[in-house]
Amino acid sequence: MSVDAEFMNFIDVSKEKKEKYQVDKPGKHIFFISNYSGTVNIEIDSVNAEVFIYGVYIGRNNDNFKLNTIQHHKSGSNISDLLVKGVFFDQSKFIYEGLIRIDENAQKSNAYQKNQNLIMSPLVFIDSRPFLEILANDVRCTHGSTTGKLDREQLYYLQTRGLSVDIAQKVLIDGFIKDVFDRMSQHGVKNDLYVKYKTN
Amino acid sequence: MSDPLNFDYKYGFSMPDLAVFKAKKGLSKQIVYQISKIKNEPEWMTEMRLKAYDIFLEKKLPTWGADLSKINFENMVYFSKSTDKVKTSWEDLPAEIKETYDRIGVPQAEKKYLAGVSAQYDSEVIYKSVQKELDKIGVIFCDMDTGLSKYPEIVKEYFASLIPTHDNKFAALNTAFWSGGSFVYVPKGVHVKMPLQAYFRINSERFGQFERTLIIAEEGSQVHYIEGCTAPIYTTDSLHAAVVEIFVKKGARVRYTTVQNWSNNVYNLVTKRARADADSIMEWIDCNIGSQVTMKYPSVYLMGEGAKGEVLSIAYAGKNQHQDAGAKMFHFAPRTSSRIVSKSISRAGGRTSYRGLVQVMPGATDSSVYVSCDALLMDEKSRSDTYPYMKIKENNVMVQHEATVEKIGEEKLFYLTSRGIDRVAAEGILVNGFIEPVTREIPLEYSVELNRLMQLEMSGSVG
Repeated sequence: MSVDAEFMNFIDVSKEKKEKYQVDKPGKHIFFISNYSGTVNIEIDSVNAEVFIYGVYIGRNNDNFKLNTIQHHKSGSNISDLLVKGVFFDQSKFIYEGLIRIDENAQKSNAYQKNQNLIMSPLVFIDSRPFLEILANDVRCTHGSTTGKLDREQLYYLQTRGLSVDIAQKVLIDGFIKDVFDRMSQHGVKNDLYVKYKTN
Repeated sequence: MSDPLNFDYKYGFSMPDLAVFKAKKGLSKQIVYQISKIKNEPEWMTEMRLKAYDIFLEKKLPTWGADLSKINFENMVYFSKSTDKVKTSWEDLPAEIKETYDRIGVPQAEKKYLAGVSAQYDSEVIYKSVQKELDKIGVIFCDMDTGLSKYPEIVKEYFASLIPTHDNKFAALNTAFWSGGSFVYVPKGVHVKMPLQAYFRINSERFGQFERTLIIAEEGSQVHYIEGCTAPIYTTDSLHAAVVEIFVKKGARVRYTTVQNWSNNVYNLVTKRARADADSIMEWIDCNIGSQVTMKYPSVYLMGEGAKGEVLSIAYAGKNQHQDAGAKMFHFAPRTSSRIVSKSISRAGGRTSYRGLVQVMPGATDSSVYVSCDALLMDEKSRSDTYPYMKIKENNVMVQHEATVEKIGEEKLFYLTSRGIDRVAAEGILVNGFIEPVTREIPLEYSVELNRLMQLEMSGSVG
C-alpha cells in the first residue's frame, strides 16, 4: 500500500497557532508541535481517522513552555497517537497536560499518549499530567510518561569508544529527538525539520 | 429516589440502636465542647477541637473530585457512645452486637492467629482483645481515646503534626469531632509478628464517624495494621471522615491495609498520611469496594535518605458509586523510591478516578518513581478517569508512569465460557485475576473475602 495514495494532512501547530482542530475526514492527520505554548485541542469526529501528534521541545535558559493537548474522540473506530519528547537545559520549565477523552458513543477508539523528558540540569522543572477520561468501554487507551536524565550506561559506552562526555551527550540527545522525526517520515512527512533541532 | 440501593447488599442489616449517649443532630461549638467534656480530655485537646471547628466552618469543600454537594452537615449526629466502657472480653459483649459481628465474621478473627482485634461499634472501641504478647514486648495498641488518657505526652507530641487541622475541610471536621480510631506505638527494634486489626462499623442512622488513628513505629521496628469495614444500609447519607497519621522512624517498616466496604450511601472522605524517615518502608494497601463516594489519597512523605513508599490500591465502582482514589508521594531526600500500583473496575454506570501526585523536590537525587494505573470498564455506561500529576524539580531521578484503560477481554471470556463456565463466573474470574497483584499482598482471609465480594458484585451484572 502506497502512503501517497491515502489522504494525508500535515499541520504544523507552531505555525497555525489554532486552539482547536477538527478531524472530520478518514485517513492520516499529522500534527507537529515544537516549542509551542498553548492549548491544542484535537476533536476527532470521523471513523477511520488516524491522528498522529508529534511534539519536540528543547528548553534552554529561562524558556517556559506550557502545553495542553486534548485528544477528544467524539466518534469511534479511529486512532490517536501522541508522542511528545522534550530535552531541558538550564532553568527551563515544561508544564505538560495531556487529556485523552473518549465520549460515550466513541466505541472502538484507540488512543495513545506518551511524554518523555530528559532533564539536563538540576534547575529544570517539569510538571507532567497525562489525564484520561474514558466514557466508552470498547476502547483501548494507554498513556505513559517518563522523566529522567541520560542513561548512565549509554553515556559510559560512548565514552569507552573515545567520545568526550559532551559529544556523547549530544549523540544521545540527537538520537532521542530523531525518533520523533523518524516516525513522521514513516508517515510520509519530509524529514528536513530534524536538521533544525540537531544540537550543534 | 425511593430505593437507590438496588443490589443485594450482603451485610445490609441494621441492628436496633443501642447507643447510650447520642449527641443532638447537627453542628455547634457546644457539641464539640460536650464531646471533649464527656471524654474528660486534657485542655489542649479541647482547645484544638474548638479551633478545628472554626477552621472547618471557614474551609470550602474541594472544587475538584467527586460531587460532595449533597452532604448535609446539619443533618448528622456527631457523636455517640454505644456502651459506657471498653469491654475486654468477648463474653461481656451485648448479644446484639455479637450477632452483628458474627455476620461480618469477627469470630473467625478471634482465632488465636488473629490475636489483636479491636472492634469499633459506633464511635468508640468497645471491644478489644490484645494478646498478652503485645504488652510483653511493650507495644501499645488501644483506641485513640484510651491512648489520649493513658499516654497524653506521646499523643500530644504527634497528634495533628503530620496532618495539621487546616490541611483540608474534612481533616478539620475530624479534629473537631474525632472519636475512636486506633493508637499504636511500637518501641525501638520491636517486630510485631501478628497483624493488628480493627473492625469499623457505623450502626446509627445519620451518624457521622470520625476515627482518628495514630501509628508510631520507632527505629527499626515493624508493624502491620489492618482495618476492614462493612456497614448496614441506611436511607440517609452517612459521612465517614477519618484521619490517619503514621510515623515511620529510621529503618522501620509499617504496612497499613484497608478493606473498605461501606454500604453505598456512605461518603468516605479520608485523609491518610505517613512520614518515612531514613531507610524506612511505608506501605499502604488500599481496597475500596463500597461507599457512594470515596475520596482518599494515602500519601507518603519520604523525608529520610533511602526511604521507600508504596501504595497498592483497588477501587471498585458499581451503580451510583464514585471512587476517587489514588496516592501521593513526596520525595524530599536522596535515594528515595516510590511505587504506586492502582487497579480499578467500573461497572453498571459506576465511575472510578485515579488521582495521584508525585513530587520530587530539589536535592532528592537518585530517586525513582514508578506509577502504574490499570482500569477495567465492564460496560458502556461506566466511566474511568486517570489524573496523575508529576512535578519534578530534580534532574538526577527516574520517573515512570503508565496507565491503561480497557474493557474485559472478549476472547478470554469466550475461552472460559467454551470451557463450560457461565459468563458471570467467567467475568468474576477475570476481574479477580486483574486485581491479583494487589490481593496477593493482603492477608489470606482478607483476599478470600475480597475475591468473594468481587464475585458477588459481578453476579449482579446479568439482566
